[in-house]
Amino acid sequence: MAADFAEATTENFLGRGGRAHGVLARVRGEMDVALHGVSLSVGGLEPLNEQYLTELAALARQIEPLSISDHLCFGTFGGHYAHDLWPLPYTEEALEHVVQRVERVQARLGRQLLLENVSSYVEYRASTLSEWEFLAEVAERADAGILLDVNNVFVSARNHGFSPTAYLDGLPARRVQQMHLAGHSEAAGFLLDDHGSHVTSEVWQLFEHALARFGALPTIIEWDERVPGLAELEAEAELARAVARHGTSRAVQR
Amino acid sequence: MKLAELERYFAAVATSTSGPPADLEQVFKPSARLSARELMSIYNRGYHFRLLGALEAVFERTRRALGAAEFQRLGLAYVAEHPSEHPAVERVGRHFAEFLRARRACNDALADLAALEWARLCALVAPDPQRVLSASAVDPLTFPSAPLSFVPSLTVLSLQRAALTLFASNGDLSAALVESVPAHDIPAKCAVAVWRQRHAVKHEVLGELEHEALELARSGAPVSQFCALFAGGTDAEAAERAFGVVSTWFKREWIGK
Repeated sequence: MAADFAEATTENFLGRGGRAHGVLARVRGEMDVALHGVSLSVGGLEPLNEQYLTELAALARQIEPLSISDHLCFGTFGGHYAHDLWPLPYTEEALEHVVQRVERVQARLGRQLLLENVSSYVEYRASTLSEWEFLAEVAERADAGILLDVNNVFVSARNHGFSPTAYLDGLPARRVQQMHLAGHSEAAGFLLDDHGSHVTSEVWQLFEHALARFGALPTIIEWDERVPGLAELEAEAELARAVARHGTSRAVQR
Repeated sequence: MKLAELERYFAAVATSTSGPPADLEQVFKPSARLSARELMSIYNRGYHFRLLGALEAVFERTRRALGAAEFQRLGLAYVAEHPSEHPAVERVGRHFAEFLRARRACNDALADLAALEWARLCALVAPDPQRVLSASAVDPLTFPSAPLSFVPSLTVLSLQRAALTLFASNGDLSAALVESVPAHDIPAKCAVAVWRQRHAVKHEVLGELEHEALELARSGAPVSQFCALFAGGTDAEAAERAFGVVSTWFKREWIGK
């Protein structure tokens, strides 16, 4: 199989047994595994879920992952989980709140956390910082890494009317450790990050910009909907490798 | 607005079932093409339908039995009443069977079918036992006085027989009516064990005596105590009955350590 490493959704392996763990152990025997969470709610108001962190730390000890990441967002409310990646207001108050929580998570795990930028559809009037300023500040102040989702940058840039390259240029290069690519769809008046199609030529071009700025990094192409056959996935992964090797996506015609 | 107010406001709008508040445009910016109200509806729809999708994945047969439209109506009402309490999205259905029963939105057999589907999910993801014990590993000297330890995936439900028939017919109500005939030897309400053997989730109807013995064993009673339930006839006959049941438990890999 033409994969250099695997990414596992953290929540699918916490506090549970059965086949999933067997598969994870087998994959880990063959390649590095990155743990990528969706429910940490690092920007949330609720206290961090201690059981979640305990189980995550145990899983990390067990499989020694390449990285542990989650999203720069909130997804909890009144003791409940939204199972969505809700955007934060980009304010000084939110910045301090998130930095404290990232530091606490990293202390519990005994390692650095990577934070992924989310795609968003709405902006708060209260925001006083740009998203990239906020992400950069969180990473610097909390000594965290960045998992840069290039497609999310593109989607949010289009939805909110900012420059995607200005976003990339505003991030501290040494903090960016992994990248995500994905497809999106055009909905009525906005772009939807649905991971249900091939990476678009515009996102490949932005990936090229990211490579020039951050160098070649472990990169995942995400698919959640309408997943094509393995050969097609492998071809797209090979394309990403080629872009990383040659630093250009000019050959990409989709 | 402070961070706490903003997050609570966002969550209230994203999870609302009664439409957005009037002051929404003062909190969120519009985009070049959509109002803040339209933009927040993306989150509102995403929230409800993501959770509905999680319910559909777990309660596949219940959905088929209820019909897609009725399942959606009940599923969205359920999500509004029971927001997720767990970091893993599939656990959102924890109270769904009881919700259906309480609503009297469907008959008890359908609520039991949902309970069975939920129990099967729980068995699927239950933690692994430290190890599964085989009958040959038992010390015959200490076994009678020892309590048994059961694997974490094992659970026992009390279900209507019709729920089992519905499960077997993949939630097809018409097929369930036909298939209910051969089940005459199962009582209308029965105890059902659900567990995971290796990676396969299974369920099995328990006889009355086996159920009683299992409940006693799971409460920590020593082997000799629950085996006494099988008394009757000669000692050899009673021992054979008890041995038959307990050896089945070993074969099903219910006994762990």
